[in-house]
Amino acid sequence: MLRFYFEVARTAYRRQLIYRWANLAGLCTNVFFCIVLSSVIIALYQARPTVGSYNLRDALSYSWATQAMIMVVLPFGWIDLMLTIRTGEVVTDLSKPCDFSLYWVSREVGRALYYVFFRALPTYLAGWLIFGLELGASWNAWPIFLGCLALGTISGVIFRILLNLVAFWILEARAVIVLGLTIAQFSTGVYLPVVFFPAWLSTLVSWLPFNGMMNAPAQVFLGKLTGSSLLFELALQLGWLLILIIVVRRITAIATRRVVVQGG
Amino acid sequence: MISMLHIELRLYARLIRMQLRAQMQYKVDLVLDMLTYFLVTVLDFCVVLIYFVPFPTLLGWHLGEVALLSAVTSLGFGLAELFGGGIDNFDTLIRQGDFDRVLLRPVTTLIQVSTTQFRLRRLGRITQGIGAFALSLFFLRGLNLIWTPLKILVLLLGIASSALLFVSILLLGATICFWTVDATELTNILTYGGREMLSYPLTIYHQLMQRLFVFIVPLAFGTYIPVCYVLGHALPFDLPDWLAFTSPLVALLFALAALAFWRFGVHRYQSTGS
Repeated sequence: MLRFYFEVARTAYRRQLIYRWANLAGLCTNVFFCIVLSSVIIALYQARPTVGSYNLRDALSYSWATQAMIMVVLPFGWIDLMLTIRTGEVVTDLSKPCDFSLYWVSREVGRALYYVFFRALPTYLAGWLIFGLELGASWNAWPIFLGCLALGTISGVIFRILLNLVAFWILEARAVIVLGLTIAQFSTGVYLPVVFFPAWLSTLVSWLPFNGMMNAPAQVFLGKLTGSSLLFELALQLGWLLILIIVVRRITAIATRRVVVQGG
Repeated sequence: MISMLHIELRLYARLIRMQLRAQMQYKVDLVLDMLTYFLVTVLDFCVVLIYFVPFPTLLGWHLGEVALLSAVTSLGFGLAELFGGGIDNFDTLIRQGDFDRVLLRPVTTLIQVSTTQFRLRRLGRITQGIGAFALSLFFLRGLNLIWTPLKILVLLLGIASSALLFVSILLLGATICFWTVDATELTNILTYGGREMLSYPLTIYHQLMQRLFVFIVPLAFGTYIPVCYVLGHALPFDLPDWLAFTSPLVALLFALAALAFWRFGVHRYQSTGS
């Protein structure tokens, strides 16, 4: 059975390979946005040298890292699952002899892996060439970063599946999905580094499930999260992941029971 | 000639009314959609506000000034999204071969294309723009800014020009679809990227980017230059102040160029033929 999920992931990975030009165009857009964001941050840092423990280079590296991870963890407007619910295709997926949510998780993990190699790495590389970004705090920070990113990616996938499952109740769930994704991206530091947030807001977002998706991995990458606070963040990340898994399984079970397919 | 234009305008209004009627059928969806879009754009604006928590100024620009710039850009872009939705979605028309049907009808192609989509949810961003504008006026209190009728005129003309400029960019992107539908995301650099970029003072960017958005794709004439005039900031590249009044002219010239390119594209369009 494990082999099946592996094949699902592999197929999803290979399907992405076809959209070469679309990905290249997306990469250009991604880099352009990063340059705009960097220009704003550079101009702001003229007024003071550090914010929290972040100097200019840290803030730039953080921004490029989170922007590079978007397509891996929380891609904009991911409505693939919602569309299958709307067209009724979801029934074929539900009647397959495999676990529905695990099937989608494998699919998305395959896709995420593609974006690690063909979006995240090139984007960050471009940032490194233009602004001379940080290349990881130290060699031993890398394996922790990759583990943290893997956990964050799976949390992101499950969160997106949950948002899409809303379509079982509201047919036009796009609005809910877009809002949910935007809030998640905002809270995890995609639009601006979490360290810039006012104190009350950064305390609030540090307890949300989104924190582990990109903010925590980015902090590990920059070496801002070490020792006991690292262990605490990892535990929190795991805890949220567990809760997300339980919720997605419950909701899938409820949704499957009430699914009525048009046309008999 | 005049009567032709009159007929076409009436047709345009009627096609838009049709779109509106269709969307009114699903009121709950519409309200939910508009509300979401409003909240998403509010979050965009919050980014500007949060930047000024740890930092006092952005290269000499204060919170209220950047907020005003961001609000005006949002308004121009929101209007462009509302009226240019069909043009923005032109790639689906080409992909599905529906453009052949457009060519068969005895109505200007551009009118048909731009009325294929008129999404009321775009009002969400315009509402956000108005709210942000009010908020920026509140933040600007301390700066002793004197509003004159001339300044208000420049700002209004700027918003209209920036809407026209954004629609023209969408039209350029749509025209590229006659050759390839794979590059649609590249226009996003100029539209979404341009909007994001112009929400902040142009002077913070690299010289090349500044030149691009002033002289080649003159989006700066829509928002940045009028806002500079209103706030009394110097225009980029030592341009004279009166240029702020020329934004409608610049926008019109750019739109005509985009229109010429579109016509060229339509003439050399060949359907897949299968």
